[in-house]
Amino acid sequence: MKSYQIKKSLMNLTPLFGLAALFALFLLIGSSQDINIGYGLKSIINQSVVVAVVATGAIFIYTLGSFDISLGASVAVSALIGGIVYNRTESILAMLLVCIGIAVFIGLFNSVLASVFNLPVFVTTIAMLSVLNALVLVLIKVNGTGSEIAVPAAAVRPLNNTPFKIMVLAVFFFLSLFIFSFTGVGRMQKFQGGNPICAKLSGISEKKMAVIAFAMSGIGVGLGAFLSIIYAPTLTRNTASSVGMDVIIAIVFGGMPVSGGARSRIYAAVIGAFSMTLLSQIMVMFNLNSGIGQMVKAAIFILVVFLATSDQRSRMLPR
Amino acid sequence: MNTNNNNIFTRIVKIAVIPVGTFLIVFLLCSLKGVKLFETTGNWILFFRAAASVMLVTFALSLNLNSGRFDFSIGSVALLSSVISASICNSAGLSTPVMLAVSMLAGTLFGMLSGAVYVIVKLPPIIVSLGVALFYEGLAFSITKGYGVSFVANKELTSFPSVVNYLLVIGIGLIVFIFLFDYTQFGYDYKALMSGQKVAVNTGIREIPNAIGCYTISGALMGVVGFISATNTGTIQMALNFGSIGTMFTAFLPMFIGGFIGRFCNEKIGYLLGAVTTAFISLMYARLNVDSSIQQIVTALILVGFLIYLNNENKILELVTLKNYINRRKNQ
Repeated sequence: MKSYQIKKSLMNLTPLFGLAALFALFLLIGSSQDINIGYGLKSIINQSVVVAVVATGAIFIYTLGSFDISLGASVAVSALIGGIVYNRTESILAMLLVCIGIAVFIGLFNSVLASVFNLPVFVTTIAMLSVLNALVLVLIKVNGTGSEIAVPAAAVRPLNNTPFKIMVLAVFFFLSLFIFSFTGVGRMQKFQGGNPICAKLSGISEKKMAVIAFAMSGIGVGLGAFLSIIYAPTLTRNTASSVGMDVIIAIVFGGMPVSGGARSRIYAAVIGAFSMTLLSQIMVMFNLNSGIGQMVKAAIFILVVFLATSDQRSRMLPR
Repeated sequence: MNTNNNNIFTRIVKIAVIPVGTFLIVFLLCSLKGVKLFETTGNWILFFRAAASVMLVTFALSLNLNSGRFDFSIGSVALLSSVISASICNSAGLSTPVMLAVSMLAGTLFGMLSGAVYVIVKLPPIIVSLGVALFYEGLAFSITKGYGVSFVANKELTSFPSVVNYLLVIGIGLIVFIFLFDYTQFGYDYKALMSGQKVAVNTGIREIPNAIGCYTISGALMGVVGFISATNTGTIQMALNFGSIGTMFTAFLPMFIGGFIGRFCNEKIGYLLGAVTTAFISLMYARLNVDSSIQQIVTALILVGFLIYLNNENKILELVTLKNYINRRKNQ
């Protein structure tokens, strides 16, 4: 019995071991190839932080067993509107608030649309993905040069540093951790995700849980949009284009079950985001072409998730 | 006898209402702008190509999705199959039917491989499909060294687009799909597993071969989709970081329309009519030169509107027919 529990604990820690192993590999290869490790780490943080912040908020949606595919497009729209507001007001605070406000509004719109009209959340977010992608084109056409909306680089330069980005991630992570692990909301979310019928019979409001989850996710998306502007102040139609799928990969890679429920972990997002970026960086260090790098990444992704969930196999095929 | 005729008539009306209604709206909008919907042969080709391609994607998506298996990798299977078939046939100077066969064969193998990975690792299909999509995109990229494939100058391989060819694809695809899922043991097992996985497995139905079979058929269909797409333009562009999943999204609206029409006839015919409906919309966009951003918004709104109707059908019908009001009046 004891050995089973130890094995189970080790399985749960697989994503963390994976991150540690990737970090060690990065240091090893970096030193053997005389690469500037400090610069490499800075680059990894820059690339990971947006996905980590957005994915941390998205954990609330995944815990319910739901799925939002429009997060990347939502980051892009929030960043573009934030950029437009900055260019009109020249206020960083206004830009931050607008980024968060727009992202929360989009999230709440998704959840309200789904709950009022009894629509499957996933399909609602697919439709929203199309609308938001179209909105990106319209915003750039109407308010920008036709191909971009540029925030002056000098305005965001003071914030474009690693400590500030880590601080933003840490503040949002600990806020999410507190809500998720130390309040009734987190417990209800896990209950709802694990067994919706029992949760309903226990008096938990499905709609309320969805609204809270999408609002938390919206805050993450808004912060992600803000950090995207700081990192790359020239916003184009490609801004945050890969964030949506990176978030899904990061969450799963970090050990989060896609079915949500009691096994959900808020730290999965951060572990997953940094692991994926480290992996990409290692591929670059090996001088692999983008295609082979992506194939190796895919194989490692499936292997890690397979190992992390090896104690959860059932006789039947999962759906 | 009269009631029977009435029932058949009502069913025909319900089957045809969406595609015919869409055609009338599209026709009216084009007429208002002074544009003919079907003016040239190119317009007919565009319409039938869209119908054929979307129908096959809808079949491929729905056959796994209806069993609770979400598959992000179907677009990457189409991409990789077309890359392999176009590269081989263009360099060896082979004919169009050979390219179709190679593309379908490659799709079948890659679909089977997806299914094999799914049953071996026993992870949720959504996770497996994410990994597989990344892998296939990477493989296609590596094969072409990132440059994609271009065979614009190859007159043989770009000769496929024609109304007759697309009609053949639609006809054969529909017949084979209906046969496989409605008249074979594989199809009966599929339906049993779809409606009650645990009960079906306990009664001795072999789930693993059935699941691999579904992925294999889905792969074969996507091989044909890849072929249609490649022979249309003579070029195949590379996609990394899930750039291939857009293909999947084209099938959601026809799948839901097909599901609705499927209440009154065979569901596969419903999917075909769903594909025809979206083909009318695509043709209208092309004829009216609708901006791509507006296209995306309109298509999304149609999808949401249709889903709102499907999920609130009774309430909407009560509202429209004033059923509650009339009942209350009668009671008074």
